Amino acid sequence: MEDVVTHEEDWKVCFAELGPGLVLFARQFVRQLPDAEDIVQEAFVKFWRKQHSIENRGLLYATVRSVALDLLRRDSRRARREAAASAEMEQTTEPQFDFDDGAQRELAAAIDLLPVEQREVLVMKIWNELTFAEIGEALEISQNTAASRYRYALASLKKNFVVHE
Amino acid sequence: MNDFSELEAELKKLRPRPASPDLAARIEIGLAQEAAGRGTATAGVLPKPRRFRPNWIALGLGLAAAATFLVLARLNVDRPSKSAGLALLTPAPITPAAKEVDSLVPSAMTQVVYSTRDEGLHFAEGADQPMRRLRSRKQETMQWKNPQTGASLRVSYPTEEVTLVPVSGQ
Repeated sequence: MEDVVTHEEDWKVCFAELGPGLVLFARQFVRQLPDAEDIVQEAFVKFWRKQHSIENRGLLYATVRSVALDLLRRDSRRARREAAASAEMEQTTEPQFDFDDGAQRELAAAIDLLPVEQREVLVMKIWNELTFAEIGEALEISQNTAASRYRYALASLKKNFVVHE
Repeated sequence: MNDFSELEAELKKLRPRPASPDLAARIEIGLAQEAAGRGTATAGVLPKPRRFRPNWIALGLGLAAAATFLVLARLNVDRPSKSAGLALLTPAPITPAAKEVDSLVPSAMTQVVYSTRDEGLHFAEGADQPMRRLRSRKQETMQWKNPQTGASLRVSYPTEEVTLVPVSGQ
């Protein structure tokens, strides 16, 4: 990834690389894919407009998180609906991952059971490859706290999911 | 962390769903609008193009004020307001022979008589009958206009006129 992208077409290269991870991260706040894409759209435009370095991924994810939380605050009914959907794990929600087999489906279901604080750290670490320092910046927590949440998430998954050989 | 390496490998095998193709297009539109300085995209909906919405109240008030101004301006030209000393208004016809000032053409002349005073009978020198002397004070205004450019010139000055009217003995 280039350091600072200035060419107007370069955002497409960045978005092609980061887009799926950003949408996955946004879906930790809103369960429906269209809502998550709306969040990513607004956050990406906001981030790009301010000409931040794309290397500053902590800030990029912080922007996505901020837009998502603003959206939920603006629409309290939506927030309640999302909370209910998250609690009930409704089956109609479009899956966040493409599955190769049933084991992966079980793993994805186990991820959905994690608390949102652990899920967002897990998503940033596994599928977006952020460091704990970057995760800490995005979530405004220390990197130790980020690492701790990550370990708790893995421990919970390990308890609920048996790795298939 | 080594305890979780196997689990981490399994997690990395999960592939997030790709973003829908139209998301990139929506971002492209949003960035283009940002570049054009037309505001920011909002979550959920792309910003709608601005539409002209007339403020009918302001427009109505503006038109009313303009109409009032035109009516008052016309009244001032056609019918000068009466003052306490106004006695007579005598608009003078524009004569075709009026001399042009550069490209300005005489367009109007007004004569306002403020007062007329009867100073009584007087015998003029060499006259065999008395004459009544009337003194009138007036304000004359002449106006020229350039029909091509619309420029106008107006000159206003006070005058005093003494008229001797023969008095018959009948």
